[in-house]
Amino acid sequence: MKSINFGIDLGTTNSLITKYENGKVTIFKHPIGHKETLASVVAFRPGRTLVGDKAREFLTKDPVNIFANFKRRMGTDDKFYVVNLDENVTPIELSTLVLKELKQFVYSGEEVKAAVITIPASFDTMQSNATKKAGLAAGFQEVLLLQEPIAASLAYFNNQENNADRNGYWLVYDLGGGTFDIALMQIKDGEMKVIDHEGNNFLGGADFDFGIIEKIIVPYVTAQFGIENFEEELRKNNGKYEQLFYELIYKSEEAKKELSQQAETQIDFTLDGREVLLSISREDLENTIQARVAETITMLKSILSRNELGTKNIEEILLVGGSTYIPYVRQQLAEQTAIKVNSHIDPTTAVAIGAAYYAANKYYQPKEGVALGDSVEDMLNQLSGIEAEDAALETFPDISLTVSYSQMSKDTEEVMIIKANGNWEGKTYRIIRSDGGFDTGFVPVKSKFTEFLPLINNVNNIFYLRLYDEDQDEIKAALQEITITQGQFNIAGQPIPQDICIEVDDKENHTTKLEVIFEKNAVLPQKKTLYREISKTIKQGSEDSIIINILEGDRNARALSNLVIACIEISGKELTSDLIKGSDIELQITMSDNRELHTEVFLVMTQQEFKNAFSLSEKHVNIDRLKEQFIDLENEIRNSIKMFSYDENDVWAIQANDFLKELMQHKNELFKLKEDDRTDAKYVIAEVLNRVSQAYDKLGGEDRLERLRYEYLEAKEYIENHLPMADFKKEELAQSYSKLLKGEHQVLISRNPSILEKATEKMNSLAWDILWNTLSYIISRYEGFKGLKPDEFKNYQGVQPIFRSADQALSGERYHEFRQHVYSITHLLVHNEYKIQNDDFKGTGIG
Amino acid sequence: MKAIFIVNCLTQCYNIMNDHIALINQFFEIEQKLLAEQLIDKFDRNLKRIQNIFEASGLLVINPIGEAYSESRTDYEASIVGNPGQHMKITKVIKPVIYQNDAQGRQLLQKGIVIAEQV
Repeated sequence: MKSINFGIDLGTTNSLITKYENGKVTIFKHPIGHKETLASVVAFRPGRTLVGDKAREFLTKDPVNIFANFKRRMGTDDKFYVVNLDENVTPIELSTLVLKELKQFVYSGEEVKAAVITIPASFDTMQSNATKKAGLAAGFQEVLLLQEPIAASLAYFNNQENNADRNGYWLVYDLGGGTFDIALMQIKDGEMKVIDHEGNNFLGGADFDFGIIEKIIVPYVTAQFGIENFEEELRKNNGKYEQLFYELIYKSEEAKKELSQQAETQIDFTLDGREVLLSISREDLENTIQARVAETITMLKSILSRNELGTKNIEEILLVGGSTYIPYVRQQLAEQTAIKVNSHIDPTTAVAIGAAYYAANKYYQPKEGVALGDSVEDMLNQLSGIEAEDAALETFPDISLTVSYSQMSKDTEEVMIIKANGNWEGKTYRIIRSDGGFDTGFVPVKSKFTEFLPLINNVNNIFYLRLYDEDQDEIKAALQEITITQGQFNIAGQPIPQDICIEVDDKENHTTKLEVIFEKNAVLPQKKTLYREISKTIKQGSEDSIIINILEGDRNARALSNLVIACIEISGKELTSDLIKGSDIELQITMSDNRELHTEVFLVMTQQEFKNAFSLSEKHVNIDRLKEQFIDLENEIRNSIKMFSYDENDVWAIQANDFLKELMQHKNELFKLKEDDRTDAKYVIAEVLNRVSQAYDKLGGEDRLERLRYEYLEAKEYIENHLPMADFKKEELAQSYSKLLKGEHQVLISRNPSILEKATEKMNSLAWDILWNTLSYIISRYEGFKGLKPDEFKNYQGVQPIFRSADQALSGERYHEFRQHVYSITHLLVHNEYKIQNDDFKGTGIG
Repeated sequence: MKAIFIVNCLTQCYNIMNDHIALINQFFEIEQKLLAEQLIDKFDRNLKRIQNIFEASGLLVINPIGEAYSESRTDYEASIVGNPGQHMKITKVIKPVIYQNDAQGRQLLQKGIVIAEQV
């Protein structure tokens, strides 16, 4: 026996699917658009069948082929004639299509073999059986039904910590998008049941949206602009204002949602070229919906009176349905009934969640096995089921599709030609783009057919082609994945062999980093505009400059290790006014087919434009920047030597020392160079720096990178463990942590040891900040400071009053004050633990 | 405690994403108004800059105005005005389509809200 676990809210307007697993309920989202709900609408459009939100689009325009609200007809012998199919469909068949579509939501790929499906409390036996039949037709081996108010109540009670002694009555008030239901519930001796119910199938949120148009917008427009027949032209099919009507329906719904959060909102729209701005208050909305809400309360009262119950007999009113978010609904219920209103569960998902809880404790016998105690007939049925399934598993599908398409395209859509081989009659196919932006719906297979696939620019567009049998069950073996790359020529253009990057400042780390402009293997020609900020102020007329360095190589390596292919230097002498730090710079970079690089630099503040063209043979070296890079690399190598020696890693230490020696041979010469030096010396030194930097990056190979990644992750884990324990500035520290995590992916894939080292340093620095904001740590450090000798303080006499104040603050439990005193003491220590960074980093001037 | 902390971080991310969507929708409305008032050229550089910021955050904004209407395009929800026909176009975009690019690939973040009609 297996637990059913899956719950389905098969709603009049929207449906949901959920699953209970490991004590939690998961609500599956629509693979397209990632909404939790699926519109319960089916459209039989020419050549295709659509289910869900997209099916709704032609609802009013093509009502003979599109069906909604069919739940209301379940259990009747009504049939709907579909003009496009020239045949009838039943409400059961329509519900089956919705259930099958819901099965597609289960992204884990797990097959839904059994489910609990919810039904309204008002459903009679015929309607209930019809629902069960739809479930079985959708391919479920077992279907259990559960009344919606019970499902909602289960969702609520399972959300409570204390469920003991729950005997009594309560009401489930369900005000959805298009329907209203109220149910009187009772728990007696541990058994939950629906005592009575009432409802209105034409009362819900959609009526409220329309009410805003009818009672607020139309009177306003009529009074302000005196347009004759405005309302008529708005409401009628093909009316003058039909386009505006759909816009207003959408905007009214938005306004209604906003008014649940705020006291006033605005709707703006264009009417005959005029801008209309209309303020709507919460009170306006309340006046609009007052009568409809009163109707629901009347039904509530009538249900109580016919069951001879007073409001005092009712424990709570449980809210279900999206329209119960409206504060006025909640307020009226509380005021008019004096019963406690409970809104502790999500009203839009409560029924589906409750169904999953119920499903968790219900079991079914999968067809693979035979349950003991089954009748002989059942056993035979199950055995035949096994044979049928096995046969399906063993046999290859009697159809295959041969597809032909172009894998690369410069167009916004690409045609795919599909040829069906084998028995294709009665089968359907469906193509979905992986990002959810395209779905053909179910389309009948023909011997040969075409589909136009829309493409998103400059990316890989992945499509899934699925095939379905006569019962619209997927033939899984026939699944095909199709990838079309948009933005690339069909014929191979010249690809870029390495990343093309720009060097920008990393001020926090007193270094520079690379940002990719064109990725390796991108096909030429390429063009891109970058927007950056000036990271230092450059005075007009000064020698100072900004340097735009464009490099070719590995984006994850240090700038020094890459080849400079273009360098533009704009000095203060060229500026028409001062260039202030933080002002914008725009860089347009173009690389032609023959790899000629063109740059256009626009300084927004001075409104100056600089255009340059480079061939890859030109080189430009800025001596000041070269010196800075030299020092940076020297310091890094020196630090590494220390670390390697500390770790007793002699081999790496010796190699690093050799690099340092080679570097130092050129130091004197470099620091003697002036900017106007005309010899080749700067190129020679730049070449040495580039070579040593590349070699130093490779030192220790993967082992060194692994160690550094381990150190980084260790520092991260330390923060995750200690951050929740911080007593001060918790929010601020959490934000700093989130900020560090943002760049984590780049850090972990980097092949530049210095990036990893610096990231670890930042993590460690944050870890210190966390400790210094954790009371237990501050107290322990404070106790340690008390035991220090006088010569370990800069001013021993001066620190004594601070110790006294700290003691008083601590005993008085004034912890913020205590922390300040301890901070003051740290500043008087001879070995201050705080580092002060110098801020004379020059960099490129581009942030 | 660690779990609560992680949940809080995720909630924060979700809220930030919702803020981004709200921001894009406002930006889109401003762009439409500038277009209607024929002021768009004056702000062209600023608008492109803002678009670039969105793209750098992995958000791809698509305005399908003027495109042929397709029932298979699930990245927008359309209201059909007038009599439906074979060659309908999108004549008004109330909200743009937004995709998000991240490590998992590209995902539809917001369906466009559009009006389509036979032209």
